[in-house]
Amino acid sequence: MAPKVDLSTSTRERCVTGIQGLDNALDGGIPRGNTILVTGSCGTGKTTLSLEFLVHGALDGETCLFISVTEASSKLLTNIIPYDFFEESLIKKGKLIFVDMPVVYERLGLNKLEFSLEEVDVLVRAVADIVKEMDVKRLVIDSITSVCYRLRTQEKIRDFILKIGATLSSLGCTSVLVSEISPAEERYSLFGVEEAIADGIIFMGNLERRGDLLRTLQVVKMRGTQHSRTKYVLDLTSAGVLLVPLLKGGSVAGG
Amino acid sequence: MSVTTNVAEKLLTLPESSAVALQIRAEHYFDVIRGILDNFAVKKELDSIYITSTIPSQSIVNALQVLEIDMSNIYFVDCISQIMMSMASKHEHTIYVESPTMLENLMLKVEYLIKRTEGKNDIIILDSINSLAIHNNTKILSEFLHLLVNNLRAKKAYTVIFSMEEYRSEDISNMLNIVVDETIVAAGE
Repeated sequence: MAPKVDLSTSTRERCVTGIQGLDNALDGGIPRGNTILVTGSCGTGKTTLSLEFLVHGALDGETCLFISVTEASSKLLTNIIPYDFFEESLIKKGKLIFVDMPVVYERLGLNKLEFSLEEVDVLVRAVADIVKEMDVKRLVIDSITSVCYRLRTQEKIRDFILKIGATLSSLGCTSVLVSEISPAEERYSLFGVEEAIADGIIFMGNLERRGDLLRTLQVVKMRGTQHSRTKYVLDLTSAGVLLVPLLKGGSVAGG
Repeated sequence: MSVTTNVAEKLLTLPESSAVALQIRAEHYFDVIRGILDNFAVKKELDSIYITSTIPSQSIVNALQVLEIDMSNIYFVDCISQIMMSMASKHEHTIYVESPTMLENLMLKVEYLIKRTEGKNDIIILDSINSLAIHNNTKILSEFLHLLVNNLRAKKAYTVIFSMEEYRSEDISNMLNIVVDETIVAAGE
């Protein structure tokens, strides 16, 4: 009898995002404990994708945390209520937690416009404490770019992302760092450091094709799994984020 | 046998997941629609998703109302009304796509409706390959059909693609032959 051939590419446990098209592209989900960058310009669906990732985790019984840096979480909540699969009890049960970063800054006494290396450590410890205390398995920071504005130097940004990534990974927490770039940017993060350090990059963009503007998603990098690198077109619906492959039509400029 | 009955009978002989090209003469257009939506889909207890790129969905809705066809299990993906600036009133069962060139969005809206109507099997009607060919080149349209039909097959849905006799071309026939299991000519007997 011929030996069984195992074609599976990775044995790492997966954090299933619950977004079917994305899980397929990632060969089952994000490798658990990875820190990934969801990056793109405004209006490309980064926050929506990240929120859905958390809602599915919470529905699976995991404690999920959203740290909002730029927007008040009360405003964000209005974006997830229209989901067909959203249950308000997730928030009441403490499975889906929202924290506003400005409140964290205030409690830690981080009032300066630029943080020192010591203050970076304080911030990382504070996030790690919340994750540990609440046994958080999925975390989103929206956006990491806003935090990086307070770090300013590449050295401090590198230090922050390395430390937070390592700490969260050691706690078994899969993290999504939302990164904002301008539409013309030729890299995946504003400071150029975030993309090199993250375990994975999901790039979300707008593609103009003959006057039509399509929302696109591409997994550029993901450590610990074989993944698709093709470009997908996405739709943000009440049934969640839906993906289909971008049609090439025998080659399309920019596509 | 009328065109309506004939089309329904032919579809009833096909197995689940079938993809069919339906050759239609313009004069039989509404008879065929009735055969699919009122006879075949009702008998098989299917939800119907009707992709229209030929005429605005509202015109089809009006016709279905005149024909007294129950609309509760019929949904539309309309990719022609917006481009024609003819969205006077929105029907609750209609989703609009900005343009017939946004083929990926057509697939996404079908996917969405299938998710929303989970529990029942579906029939997806593409009306028509000829009108989509006006707005898209053959390569991208072939790719679209290939992806759409195979995706629907995997979901055990029926796919019916309208091809208007009056606008037949070799390109369209070749495109359809690659993806469909059968070609039915809509005619009475």
